[in-house]
Amino acid sequence: MKNIIKLITVLVSFALLVTSCSPAPTPTTAAPTTAGPTTAAPTTAAPTTAAPTTAAPIHLVVWWWGEQEAPGAQKWMDDTVKAYEVLHPNVTIETVLQSTDSLIPAFQSAAAAGSGPDIQYFWGGIYTLQNAWSGAIIPLDNLIPADEMSHYINNFERSYDGKQYGIGWYLSGNPMVYNPKLFTQAGLDPKNPPQTWNDLITACQKLNAIGVVPISGGMKDGWFGGWLFSILARQSHDSYKDFMSASVGNAKFTDPQFSGWWTALDQLKQAKCWNADINSIDYQQGQDMFVQGKSAILFSNDTFLKGFADTAGFGWDSMAVMMVPKWATGKMADEYITTAQGWGITSWSKYPQQDADFLMFMHTPDRLAAWWADTGVLPADNRMDTSLITQPIQQEIYKWDTTVAGANLENFIPNQLDNDANMTGVQLLFSGDKTPAQLAQLSEDTIAKWRLQNPDQVTFFQTWSK
Amino acid sequence: MRTKKIEPFLFLAPALFVLLVVFGVPIYRLFVLSFQRQSQGKQIFVGLSNYKLIFMDNVFIQAIQHNGTLIICVPIMVVAALLLSILLFERIRGWQFYRTTLFLPYLLPITVVGLVFSYIFQFSGVLNGILNAIGLKFLALDWLGSTHLALPTLMFVIIWKEMGFGVILFLARLMSVDEELYDAAKIDGANWLQLHLNITLPQLSTVIEFFTVISIITMLSWVFNYVYVMTNGGPGNATIVTELYIYLMAFQYNNINLAAAVSVLLLLVTGIFIFLELYLRDRAEVGEALG
Repeated sequence: MKNIIKLITVLVSFALLVTSCSPAPTPTTAAPTTAGPTTAAPTTAAPTTAAPTTAAPIHLVVWWWGEQEAPGAQKWMDDTVKAYEVLHPNVTIETVLQSTDSLIPAFQSAAAAGSGPDIQYFWGGIYTLQNAWSGAIIPLDNLIPADEMSHYINNFERSYDGKQYGIGWYLSGNPMVYNPKLFTQAGLDPKNPPQTWNDLITACQKLNAIGVVPISGGMKDGWFGGWLFSILARQSHDSYKDFMSASVGNAKFTDPQFSGWWTALDQLKQAKCWNADINSIDYQQGQDMFVQGKSAILFSNDTFLKGFADTAGFGWDSMAVMMVPKWATGKMADEYITTAQGWGITSWSKYPQQDADFLMFMHTPDRLAAWWADTGVLPADNRMDTSLITQPIQQEIYKWDTTVAGANLENFIPNQLDNDANMTGVQLLFSGDKTPAQLAQLSEDTIAKWRLQNPDQVTFFQTWSK
Repeated sequence: MRTKKIEPFLFLAPALFVLLVVFGVPIYRLFVLSFQRQSQGKQIFVGLSNYKLIFMDNVFIQAIQHNGTLIICVPIMVVAALLLSILLFERIRGWQFYRTTLFLPYLLPITVVGLVFSYIFQFSGVLNGILNAIGLKFLALDWLGSTHLALPTLMFVIIWKEMGFGVILFLARLMSVDEELYDAAKIDGANWLQLHLNITLPQLSTVIEFFTVISIITMLSWVFNYVYVMTNGGPGNATIVTELYIYLMAFQYNNINLAAAVSVLLLLVTGIFIFLELYLRDRAEVGEALG
């Protein structure tokens, strides 16, 4: 009997692993039902912060992520919940901060079980919409008034087939950050950072000459490979929809327009622009090298900048931002990548209107100002009081966000392409195992495999890419 | 008479029911999912299609190959654990300290071990720092960042951590071997090698078999943590294993059905080894009973 129990225990460990994340029930794309206590469609008034008509106790659960890239978010979230609970005495809100690794798996398990958070944090694009396609989240069009929604930035990332499946919370963009002091030491003009690919390669040579790593990065955990795809592959295109179209088979990733970025990246590698240990360190370690003064340039995230500035021995004067130098001439080469990290409401939540009300409360002027004060990260809302932005670097970022913002490509391609081709491919480029041409073929092979393995997702992508 | 026959099953019934619900249902669901595909929000039957698809996926093939390569660790672990347990059994100077030291890695969480070794084996990490400092720069390689070295490096860490279990198993068995056997052999003039080849190995055969089978199962289905923490399957899928492939399919690519198909295969292969282990243990028990 002991043997049988042991055998079954081992067997079941596999079974549980997979079945725990089996798909959610049939998708429901209809507007929320009348399950919640308040079922009336919202008016077009400003965010509702008044107490609800019913006094029945309501408990909302929020699973979120964000402290990791916007330090201070935890404090803001705690304060926001307290403030909301004061205004709505019958509502209690439980927040659960997820780790980066558990964010997606935990929600998928919850979706499979049909129970879990009422409000869930999502990255933009595919990371949100795949949950709409599986029926785990609901459209918000009937829950948040259109004029309120119109203030939220980057709504297009969560829009599918005419419906809005989530809203933004804060903006996360990708500037190129450089150290003006190291630029000066290397004989580079910090007021005129590199603008073309050749300028960048020349800068690498000068920085190498003074013994500084020109650009630092870490590929071991893969993420940075996806970032480089989003930052570089866009430059030869006019629209992010090109990549969605190619994903469903209307173009090939081996076409020069799609494969050119591999060559551009390889040129940086050949010019010794990168740290030698790039493949053996994580993304964050690559970022840390910049703050430690070991590298001069960083493909970074604007949510990190305040943290960099707050680091002892660093400061705002130790960095400046620039647009990514150009290797191609597509319209997207002039864009500043911005995504809105955001929220969705689950299909099993009993209180969709209260969920939406809490989300709108996050966008009230007081909360927007508090968000900026706590994190130094821009909220995804055009009502933010811009007079609060006093640092020139952050003013520059805000200007890009509001004038030349463009989509983060990683959010508009299948995850499998990002992981199996972009992240894997960049590692193979830096290890010297594959040439740019071979990596372009890897991308094409991977997307062909994705189409074969996921006919259902291909259908969704076809609709989405229109 | 009839009641007496049924009685044991009545006692077992509650436990069997729990087993069926808690374990049986997920396994059944796993098998069902492996024959289905998501279509317009519903699961439709697709026969063996998922199994065909995974064998067309070169990443899955790579994952299988890497699990196969990891099995090379098993004979290394067995031989090393055997030698070390013999040395400890012979009470070399400081054997108590060594016994603790050798078993300690087995007690450490894999995540901690993985993180520590990640820092040690980075290109600019501790190991290469030492090699550079002592003039062995040519040996300072990109242990985790090279597609050729990442898997062997991972294997080294797995061996280091898992071997301690073998040492303790073998040592425990050696402690119970009748010392008269060794004394008699020594009187007959047997040397060190003969002693262990003719006495130690036969006496330890069942526990060696047990450790071997357990280690094979580990290499096939229990290395996820090492890979996830140390390399995340990279660089360039150079260390991807079947468990990580399942994880990616299920949680990153939202393809639960392919993940289920791979899980079923892993379940079956692992099941074979579990049955083998059970068979060996039964055989050993019979052997002991027969004296």
